[in-house]
Amino acid sequence: MASAWLYDGRSAARRPVAIAIDAGALELLPSEGAAERIDPGALFHAESRADAEVYGRSDVPGWRLGISKPVECELDRLLPPPQVYGRWVDRLGLRRALIAGAAVSAAVVLLVTQLPGLLAPMVPESWERRFGNALLGNSRLATCAGPGGREALAKIAAKLSPDAGELTIQVANSPMVNAAALPGGNIVIFRELLVEAESPDEVAGVLAHEIAHIENRDVTQAIIRHYGLGIIIASLGGNTGGNINLLLAADYSRTAESRADRDAIAALRRANISPVATARFFERLAKMEAKLGNVGDAFNYISTHPLSSERRRRFLASAQPGRRYRPALTAEEWDALQDICHNDPGHRRLS
Amino acid sequence: MNDMAGATDAPDERRFGLVFQGNWREFLPIVATNFVLTIVTLGIYRFWGKARERRYLWSRTHFVDDTLEWTGTGREMLVGFLTVMLFFLPIVLALNFGIEALALRGQAELAMKLALGLYAGLFYLIQVARFRALRYQLSRTYWHGIRGGSDDRGWMYGLEALWRYALAWLSIGLLFPWAVAGLWNRRWNSMGFGSLRFAAATQFDGLMKRWLLIYLTPVFAVILLGAVFFAAMLTGAGGEGAGASTGAAVGAIGALASLVLIFLLYQLLSLSFYAAFYRKAAASTSIGDVRFLFTASTRDWVRLYLGHIGLVIATLGLGLLFIPYRNWSFRVRHLEACGHLDLERLTQSQTRAPGDAEGLAEAFDLGAV
Repeated sequence: MASAWLYDGRSAARRPVAIAIDAGALELLPSEGAAERIDPGALFHAESRADAEVYGRSDVPGWRLGISKPVECELDRLLPPPQVYGRWVDRLGLRRALIAGAAVSAAVVLLVTQLPGLLAPMVPESWERRFGNALLGNSRLATCAGPGGREALAKIAAKLSPDAGELTIQVANSPMVNAAALPGGNIVIFRELLVEAESPDEVAGVLAHEIAHIENRDVTQAIIRHYGLGIIIASLGGNTGGNINLLLAADYSRTAESRADRDAIAALRRANISPVATARFFERLAKMEAKLGNVGDAFNYISTHPLSSERRRRFLASAQPGRRYRPALTAEEWDALQDICHNDPGHRRLS
Repeated sequence: MNDMAGATDAPDERRFGLVFQGNWREFLPIVATNFVLTIVTLGIYRFWGKARERRYLWSRTHFVDDTLEWTGTGREMLVGFLTVMLFFLPIVLALNFGIEALALRGQAELAMKLALGLYAGLFYLIQVARFRALRYQLSRTYWHGIRGGSDDRGWMYGLEALWRYALAWLSIGLLFPWAVAGLWNRRWNSMGFGSLRFAAATQFDGLMKRWLLIYLTPVFAVILLGAVFFAAMLTGAGGEGAGASTGAAVGAIGALASLVLIFLLYQLLSLSFYAAFYRKAAASTSIGDVRFLFTASTRDWVRLYLGHIGLVIATLGLGLLFIPYRNWSFRVRHLEACGHLDLERLTQSQTRAPGDAEGLAEAFDLGAV
């Protein structure tokens, strides 16, 4: 006979009961009233107190049986074990649960980081174009259209890619040194990049890089990451997930960047444009970065593109000595391009 | 054995404190394992972690003659969260895309209107979430095998909160104490424990003095910044070069120090308002024949928050895990009850036990205990 107390889940009164074991079942004997038979299989361990082990019944909310400690061994064998970490973890044991959890998480992170790359080639280009148009509108961006500027850009693009006709290249009237590939074959070059560039070949290098991003479907990947997986992970995982998402948000992966550089170098070679100018452009940007620190928006190109000496060296090394490169644009065309915003009478300012 | 006889039989009213019997050495292994498990499950274990924390904190909270019990589970909290996210994620995604697209097309005004609508909707849902979190917590809190709860789903509460806060905003904040006191009453009058209902009748009139003191912050700011400007002028007036640059330095340091001071003053005055509010609100709230008393003074609250900050800094951030513990024990230590409780007549709550757990509150990342 073990002594215990009982809350019946109906009233707040606590009643003393004695417990007897009868053919594998518990028999609760109150001081007054009828005995009650309880199947130990219906019990769960609710809590462990200093003076009692407390059990509940899943079919009666609030029903609690507190068995005074120490619990007799015969009775203890019939009673369910305590839950500590939750059912799954308890079943595995903490150490094995940690190892299994880490393995599954690593697999999930791997899958999630690889998934956009695997899915991107499957997205039809027409979908992406529609998405790009929905996001950007047709030509509502505050862009510049000074005389001769667009033609100059189109000329460089045509030299770099046979599919240049599919692209929409615009110059945004915004004081940033940056260029970006956007969904639906859109490329935006920001005004200040044209001003900072010292020759059309530098612009050609940057453009070749952005065209490569589009042709490699890197932009599609970035959309999938931004709108799809990123948001799902961020919402499901709380803070831990948010931190992982931060890693994903670093727009294109390093592999995508170096592949875009490799393709850009190949495109420059096909177009017979010297890669040396692009290398010099990177060098100037790197110096500016060293001098100014990361000043945020003004030199956005630095923060969104990896600017390593490795990258500069690759462009420099691809130059073939003795080859007669031709400038990407004539002097007049280059002037028109650099002044594309200045000469545009109807231009609107972005921000 | 029947050790609550004293509370049951005595016809006279008595005062019983809530006693917190926990200690940090017991809590540490709980939060430490929660922390590791949460990391290796990419955050999903946090629901189970929260249930474990609460189970511990509740089990160390002693009221009259027995401890509380938390019966909420990690599984139900995950399900509640997923349900809410399945409903909201598509809406938030669509609106997010719409606002981005409008902004990029130069439709700034329309984008702003849409964003404002989104914020009003979110504000409403956050208020509903607050209500539902309280209801869920009461429904999973057992004492003597009896739980609390409410049959109100909180949708109307959200509307009341919306118009009360709108009026408070329109009155440049003057009606804010009226809004929070009314909402406190509305929340608690909808809640019950067992067969008993809470009754709350907080008045806001006694709170106005402390509230109006907060309005002095800008006045104080103007005086302080004016004094700094004057001091800088005087120092700099000495001449060119050295004098001027000392003046500029005095101005910069002085302005920075004043901003910190103004911020601290604002925090202190707000805290003093909330300290008074919670004392008054608790004193105006009762259940059955039991009245409540909340004894935390402004100084206690300041000590609590300074303690939070000190702990987090001293432990290089790990102390964050102990914030729920400190918040809970603070509230328990300062809460007292007074009156008479008939355990034989306190019977089980007939309210629906909500299944959505704190899904809505989780979705908005509301930091409840």
